[in-house]
Amino acid sequence: MAQVPLAIVSHKRQVCSLYKRALRNLEAWYDRRDVYRYRAVQMRARFDENKNKDVAEGMRLLASGQKELFENKHFQPRNFANSPGGCAFEREVILPDWVLDYWHPLEKAQYPEYFAKREQRKKEYVAWWEKQYGKPDPSDLGHH
Amino acid sequence: MKYLSICSIAFMNLISVSIVCFILSLNFLLNDMIYFIEWELVSLNSISIVMTFLFDWMSLLFMSFVLMIASLVIYYSKEYMSADININRFIMLVLMFVMSMMLLIISPNLISILLGWDGLGLVSYCLVIYFQNIKSYNAGMLTALSNRIGDVALLLAIAWMLNYGSWNYIFYLEIMQNEFEMNIIGVLVMLAAMTKSAQIPFSSWLPAAMAAPTPVSALVHSSTLVTAGVYLLIRFNILLSNSLLGQFLLLLSGLTMFMAGLGANFEFDLKKIIALSTLSQLGLMMSILSMGFYKLAMFHLLTHALFKALLFMCAGAIIHNMNNSQDIRLMGGLSIHMPLTSACFNVSNLALCGMPFLAGFYSKDLILEIVSMSNINMFSFFLYFFSTGLTVCYSFRLVFYSMTGDLNCSSLNMLNDEGWIMLRGMLGLLFMSIIGGSMLNWLIFSTPDMVCLPINMKMLTLFVCISGGLIGYMISLSNLYSVNKSHKFYNLSVFMGSMWFMPFISTYGIICFPLNYGQVVYKSFDQGWSEYFGGQYLYKKLVNYSQMLLLMHNNSLKIYLMLFVLWILILLSFLILL
Repeated sequence: MAQVPLAIVSHKRQVCSLYKRALRNLEAWYDRRDVYRYRAVQMRARFDENKNKDVAEGMRLLASGQKELFENKHFQPRNFANSPGGCAFEREVILPDWVLDYWHPLEKAQYPEYFAKREQRKKEYVAWWEKQYGKPDPSDLGHH
Repeated sequence: MKYLSICSIAFMNLISVSIVCFILSLNFLLNDMIYFIEWELVSLNSISIVMTFLFDWMSLLFMSFVLMIASLVIYYSKEYMSADININRFIMLVLMFVMSMMLLIISPNLISILLGWDGLGLVSYCLVIYFQNIKSYNAGMLTALSNRIGDVALLLAIAWMLNYGSWNYIFYLEIMQNEFEMNIIGVLVMLAAMTKSAQIPFSSWLPAAMAAPTPVSALVHSSTLVTAGVYLLIRFNILLSNSLLGQFLLLLSGLTMFMAGLGANFEFDLKKIIALSTLSQLGLMMSILSMGFYKLAMFHLLTHALFKALLFMCAGAIIHNMNNSQDIRLMGGLSIHMPLTSACFNVSNLALCGMPFLAGFYSKDLILEIVSMSNINMFSFFLYFFSTGLTVCYSFRLVFYSMTGDLNCSSLNMLNDEGWIMLRGMLGLLFMSIIGGSMLNWLIFSTPDMVCLPINMKMLTLFVCISGGLIGYMISLSNLYSVNKSHKFYNLSVFMGSMWFMPFISTYGIICFPLNYGQVVYKSFDQGWSEYFGGQYLYKKLVNYSQMLLLMHNNSLKIYLMLFVLWILILLSFLILL
């Protein structure tokens, strides 16, 4: 499914995306900042050179650029730790509170005091909400 | 009232047991004692189930080291994992791991070894998947399944051992060493040890297991769990010496050492570099063990445990400060920002390289000199010395990347040495990393080995170390106009940087055929013939039959009468015939 194009991406956006990926790739290859800057400027110059080409030529250049990027891709790309692909991505899963509402009654029965207090607090919260913001409009409740 | 945290309680308990074990081991070593404790669990008529424990200097010393490292790691975790909501679970898992390790160390019996061994596998799986992202789950699965092969090998060895009537292998090793059955047990135990110690072709799980929290890596994946395989083979060393098995292991472990050393030079993940370095040192231990020098393997195992745990703890402190980022390309100039951590890091790195008078020097130098004196083939000799050079090379590269130059990390990062609890844990091990080698050398080898080598051979170790260091420095060097060296040799870099494609082979490579086969079977059997003759055919037939039945029930008087006549005829025929 990942390969199915879900939207039409304009040529401009494709070029921008290629440029960004090329820079990220350069970042992976050249780790010292000054060296990277030098390479990045060169890369920018290469893109700028072909700025005002016609569409057919632009598409050919885009295809060749993407091929070049693929062939020069770093074997261990530099990822941000907390972003997809990074080592700390989605490391700790904090379960949302509503999961407890979907417990089976038998499971809930094992912690009677907790759930009694929880129900009480929910009621108090609803009362507080209604006092603060008024009763919800019945037409808004349709999505349930 | 101030409560003691679970970390402090566990630390105090473990360190005190560790000290007791250490003193006992000295006593056992000096008096040359071995205690064999038999504990009869059940005795019914002539059947008795006996639990046996073996206490000698080796097991006690290993136990004291494991406990000491575990205690310091737990102490360190107090701060490292302080933001974690499940720290109690974490400490419990680490303690369970230590228990399993203890059971493994003191067992002279294959069954109880299997108990400890399986415990290690299970707990290490739980620890690898401690962080709950997909990477950790995949790494955990790879770890657990790779180790499972070893568990199965041990189970098979237990089945074979039934030939002898008991599983106390220690009684049979010497007298039965030329028996065919014993050789099979040797092969199986070697297979088990190779999986646990991540030798080729089971190497891919060790770098993957770095998805675990860093204290776990410091304890489990550097100093204790992975050395369990080496320890098992130390116990079974009689089967390896002067046999084809030993030669085979020498080749594989030499290749592991070489592959890991090469891989570490192309790796950018801080923890994975250290993991590959562990793999390389495990290869060294295995190879010297396969040549018959089990005491040397034990010596290197212990010193390696000390400085590698420290190295991991320093790496953890760095990662903690870098906001979980492990990429060494993002580091730089850490010696200015984190001087104490950097000092510990450098000491452990130098100990790993074999810098004279640090822990690693005594064991590594001795191993290389013994190798120089032994009769081994040129290829193995090359692997030994080249890998030593590679070790220095990647260590220097690592230091160059992380300690020197400018900080490459994102701005607004507070880097400092403020984690005093973590630092105290590290300083404890720092002390041991400096004096551990000489101390053990004087303790284990009461009469030093006679090493007699020509000056060239003697200097060879030093030469490979210095040239390795220089190459490490040179390959990391870059200026404004330099082209990345690994970019020039792209294919080679990819090959070496991905551990000779071993992670792909042991995951996709293994699952590829069953998956493809499964697809074919699914397509042509599940959805093909089986569906045609099974589900669909049955359905069609049932539909036909029920249509016929419906036809019969269609209130057709003729059919009823015909059936009535038919029944009368059948009954009559029965009456006449009977």
